[in-house]
Amino acid sequence: MLGKQISCAMESGSTQFFFLIDKLRIQLLNSIESATEKDYFQEEISPFDSGVGLQMSSGHSVTTVKSNCLASVTKFAQILKILSVIYRLVQSNSYATKRDVYYNNTQLFGSQRSVDTIVDDISCMLKVSRRALHVMATSKGLIAGDLCYLEEDGTRIDCRSSSAAVSVSSNVSGIRNIVSSAKFVMIVEKDATFQRLLNDNFCRKLSPCIMITGKGVPDVNSRLMVKKLWDTLQIPIFALVDADPHGFEIMCIYKYGSVAMSFEAHSLTVPSVMWLGLLPSDLQRLMVPKHSLLPLTRRDENKLNSLLKRPYFASQPQWQKEMELMQQSKVKAEIQSLADIAPDFLSSIYLPNKLRYGGWL
Amino acid sequence: MLQEIRQVLRLVVLMSKQGRRHGSGSTGGLLILLWDEEAGAQRLNCTVAAAGSWCSGVEIKALQLDLKGRMFPHVSPSLEPDPEDLIPFTELHGSLRLLLSFQMKDARHWPSDWQSDVEAVLQAFSLANAGIQIHLKLKFAQKTSVRDFRAKIKAKVSRADQPPLLLDVSCPEQKRWFLSKPHGWAKRASWCQGGHPVDGGRLPLGIPPQAMDGGLLGDLSVRLVTLLHPCVLQYPNMPTELKSIKVLVYNPCNIPVSGPSGFFQTLPSSMDCQHLGLRGLQCPAHKDPEFRVGTVFTTEQWENEKKCDDEEQESSHLPVQQSLLLFLLLQHRNPFCSHLSDFVAADMLIEHHLEEILCNNKPAVMAAIRTEIGNAMKAQNQRKKQQEKLNSAAEVILSSTMSIVSCSSNVDFRNACFDLMKVADTHALSSHLGESLRRVMSWRFLPVGRCYSTQMEENLLHHGSTKSEI
Repeated sequence: MLGKQISCAMESGSTQFFFLIDKLRIQLLNSIESATEKDYFQEEISPFDSGVGLQMSSGHSVTTVKSNCLASVTKFAQILKILSVIYRLVQSNSYATKRDVYYNNTQLFGSQRSVDTIVDDISCMLKVSRRALHVMATSKGLIAGDLCYLEEDGTRIDCRSSSAAVSVSSNVSGIRNIVSSAKFVMIVEKDATFQRLLNDNFCRKLSPCIMITGKGVPDVNSRLMVKKLWDTLQIPIFALVDADPHGFEIMCIYKYGSVAMSFEAHSLTVPSVMWLGLLPSDLQRLMVPKHSLLPLTRRDENKLNSLLKRPYFASQPQWQKEMELMQQSKVKAEIQSLADIAPDFLSSIYLPNKLRYGGWL
Repeated sequence: MLQEIRQVLRLVVLMSKQGRRHGSGSTGGLLILLWDEEAGAQRLNCTVAAAGSWCSGVEIKALQLDLKGRMFPHVSPSLEPDPEDLIPFTELHGSLRLLLSFQMKDARHWPSDWQSDVEAVLQAFSLANAGIQIHLKLKFAQKTSVRDFRAKIKAKVSRADQPPLLLDVSCPEQKRWFLSKPHGWAKRASWCQGGHPVDGGRLPLGIPPQAMDGGLLGDLSVRLVTLLHPCVLQYPNMPTELKSIKVLVYNPCNIPVSGPSGFFQTLPSSMDCQHLGLRGLQCPAHKDPEFRVGTVFTTEQWENEKKCDDEEQESSHLPVQQSLLLFLLLQHRNPFCSHLSDFVAADMLIEHHLEEILCNNKPAVMAAIRTEIGNAMKAQNQRKKQQEKLNSAAEVILSSTMSIVSCSSNVDFRNACFDLMKVADTHALSSHLGESLRRVMSWRFLPVGRCYSTQMEENLLHHGSTKSEI
């Protein structure tokens, strides 16, 4: 209903459009609050909470690492080493990146991945955020649009440059004084699409808005940033991902969280994220050229089957419909496939129409 | 005297092999009774009695005729032992299949430790014939001593192309050093009381011309079997070190033969010790009781170590000293041998020409021995590598833990750490924690199905509480 109103408002003028967007925002807030109230205090703790996302159930994530077992003794040593590093950082009130920790003793750790995993394990074990361990992740995400804020050290960040994006802060929790008149935030799956939109001046065309990308599977800081924007600005959050199982999964990470970080779900998930595109139904509707469509691989099908079994769809019947459509059609497409319709189809037609006429789920 | 005993054993074994019915067993008893007729007599009499399924094919009359004919001029059927000495034996093993008595040569010319020599031969015989319980009874100079040789734990080593072999794999008492001072970090730790023989297969041997000229014909081969003591399979992190290698040679009757010392003297130089991971091999000059039969080689590291009485040093820092027993079991087949005398002659020829036989096949025999020792060393070298990994990790664990405790300004936390480890300061904490950590790592216990485990007595250590905290 509201979507139709928005589409009519677009014809009459942009002021009305943004008024209705604000109304949508309020609706979303109300629905989330009611969902949280309903789900959060359930007697039975379930792994999925539509108001939060994937949460860690207590008592189901215990791993024993032995010091006298050859297979695990190195990990035992790595854990204690990282604990001692963290202890020093906390004591001295200084910070280090995970990369710094790795370079502390590359021979012991072997790979960056080992450090990353252990830092997450310690965070989960001590039931504190990673930030509390004084270990920061190097951010890989980018952000652009109508947004200004101050870093913890006082550095002023202005994301309004039309030509260049800003790296997501590595200390998101320290951000303050967020100033933005953006009406919505758009999460873009891929860096290529993000750059394309930046080059097309998308943020000015549909100003005021904010664009953010995690360059694929988002890192924790990118997720924290999206969460921060939602908590601070309370504006709609849209996701623009490829019409394939991998893209859908990435969107779900922003919305519902990941199993790996489920212990920090409350600080990372934004259940109000909406699926703007590229929808499987868009492929038919827009008559995307067949040569742009790719067949689903065996891996895609397996992932799709796995996704359909996830608890997300209980509260998202339209999403389920889209995934089933993908399953039936057995094809997938990247966002770039829209360029085969017209070079600037994405930024000039597809996205503006989607936003104007409520084409999100 | 040893020669006579060996001769009797040879005949009994050969006769039992010949006459053995299909499906008959390999268990029973053997009694060797050495006695003097009167006090102060210089000659000793020997009675050999056998009972059980292992000698079911023995015919006493035939045996006596053969013996009388060529081997034992002093065989005297009129010599009868005291029946009281036989009763316990028959009660245990059933009616006698063999009872043979003969007089020994003048005992004045025997070496002073002849008794130990006899025991050593019987002990070695028992190792490769574990189904036979051997009873040695000495009654002379108005003294009686009894010694039994029986296998507590037996293992059958069988291959399709080989006759089955029943070995005594019980861990010798003197090798179970750790049992007398159990560290027992695992309260219910159990020790494997035996060993696990490894069959190295059969190596064909060429018969040297001298032996052929003497009448030795047919197919000759040697079977290699190794046995490592003590077994520490259930302690995967326990470091081990090979202390000694004992080579026992058996004739085709499974009777241990002495020597050939000349051949085995060259063994250390034929082994690529560095490649094997051995710190040199040498043949000790002294003759401990353990070394009376067979050839024993000790590693250089063991020779250099002095026995340490310091309990501190005898902790898990020391690797477990293991000994490798290498059985060389000669096998002979000659389709033209049919009479008992042929088998006896062939057996004696093999013993007589053993040195030439082994020298004639030196490269192959040495290579086979090297392979068997190498296989035993593989496990040790693997443990060494694992130990390095554990030690490396232990250093990191210790330094990280000490870093936290040392840097902590929380008095309660520090005191709690000291109290738990029962130390007074960080210096003591560091050494105590390191020692405890190394013990926990080294004494990790994982039960192994094929080990012969018995439960240790529950060991309530004063260190028990520390172990649980780590």
